[in-house]
Amino acid sequence: MGTMLEFKDVNFFYQTKKAEIHALKDLNFEVDEEEFASIVGPSGCGKTTILSLIAGLLEKSSGKILLCEKEIEKNDSRIGYMFQRDHLFEWRNIWQNVTLGIELSKPKNADEKKEFAKELLKKYDLYEFISTKPRSLSGGMRQRVALIRTLVMEPALLLLDEPFSALDFQTRLKVCDDVHEIIKSEKKTAILVTHDISEALSMSDKVIVLSSRPASVKHVEKLKLNGETPLKRREDTNFGALFDLIWKKLTNEETNK
Amino acid sequence: MKKQTNKQKMSKVAPYSKAHEKYIKRLRNDKIIVIVFQILILLAIIGLWELLASTKVIDPFFVSSPSRIFNMFIDLVKSGAIWRHIGITLLETIVGFAISTIGGTLIAIILWWNEKLRRILEPYIVVLNSLPKIALGPIIILWVGSGMSAIIVMCVLICIVLTTITMLNAFNSCDTDKIQLMKSMHANKFQILTKLILPNAMEEFISVLKINVGMSWVGTIMGEYLSSSAGLGYLIVYGSQIFKIDLVMTSTVLLCLLAALMYLTVCLIEKWHNR
Repeated sequence: MGTMLEFKDVNFFYQTKKAEIHALKDLNFEVDEEEFASIVGPSGCGKTTILSLIAGLLEKSSGKILLCEKEIEKNDSRIGYMFQRDHLFEWRNIWQNVTLGIELSKPKNADEKKEFAKELLKKYDLYEFISTKPRSLSGGMRQRVALIRTLVMEPALLLLDEPFSALDFQTRLKVCDDVHEIIKSEKKTAILVTHDISEALSMSDKVIVLSSRPASVKHVEKLKLNGETPLKRREDTNFGALFDLIWKKLTNEETNK
Repeated sequence: MKKQTNKQKMSKVAPYSKAHEKYIKRLRNDKIIVIVFQILILLAIIGLWELLASTKVIDPFFVSSPSRIFNMFIDLVKSGAIWRHIGITLLETIVGFAISTIGGTLIAIILWWNEKLRRILEPYIVVLNSLPKIALGPIIILWVGSGMSAIIVMCVLICIVLTTITMLNAFNSCDTDKIQLMKSMHANKFQILTKLILPNAMEEFISVLKINVGMSWVGTIMGEYLSSSAGLGYLIVYGSQIFKIDLVMTSTVLLCLLAALMYLTVCLIEKWHNR
């Protein structure tokens, strides 16, 4: 598998009235095609900033961000972004929410994408709700709709910004399994930003540990856990040891401060 | 058995159990009690007013009475004059309401679109909002002349600034993550406005409609007090000048009914929006 995304010495500065904040410092990492990578780090270290840079919502100060070996462009249609909350529009029904991206970008193959949207909704048991308003759906169903809304545009790279943080623990485990299954079966490359180490370990092929601000890559752990679903992977005998390792990498920094 | 089915059909929610049926019945009874008491209070006020006036405990010359108001209304209907006065006031109010609601929302859109312009105009909007608009009455008459145009301008002045401020606040309070989501889907600013900002502000827009119903009546009647030769506001001023309190009261009651009718229309729009 080739490299899908590459960060090369990326720096990013936030400008505020009082100061210039160095958020990312010489950031280097890569994510392979069809790989599920998680980024963990102390709060406020700049995890979401990384996703915003990839999505073109922010502009890097220096360095290179390569997508399929080419410098990433603003409004790159190969990137799909899923936010912390589902952000379904309450005044639109599920079908209108799912096809929002098609409505906005009006692609030539809009009909094909709409067919794909129908397929996804059927596959993930949401088709019967297409005329329903989001308020009638459970938290887990809403999150699945949000993921399908992103997948409909057939992005090569999926960015997931703590998409389960607003859910209760039980729903969270279920939705993690669902989302993981969807991403793997659709053969997508995904980057998950989370502060939950268990979530990162159970879902990913690789965990990238960041230092506190200015963030740089502190450790990269390639995972080989047994189990097809995130829930099953939590039962792997190495899960606890890996949790401790990532935890130490994070907390060492806290004590070194 | 058949009777029970019909009963179930009449109720909007089919009961699941005896306890549920009891609960639904209690809800329905509560609703009926509220409506009955609302009507009883109105009837009590009218009855007491009529009783006190007919027994001369209160002087009907100064406070009128329900029967005198009714008789005055019948006289006005028979003469046909009332329709002209109602029509003029209604036209002024609806035109003022429409101009200020649409105009205020359009100004809010322009200010949302151009952040710098909003910052430049902010102090002027604040001053305009806090200014008692009645103070501008003489200037309005000088500029646009007396009559209907002056009344509509007064009505618009009262409603438009409030509409602009409320709608602009609604636009600016839209969740920034939702805007980011739209941007991540490569939406342009016009798409963000039409697909997110405007529909997201619909609840506030309906609130504005409700507020403007009241404010536009205030503006119209204030305008009619200042300069008019017809309309319900004119009848109130005319009635008080010739000490014809029955005319004042009849016009006031008609105003109440018309304002309530307009408010109910907005409530229907709200119901349609929330369906």
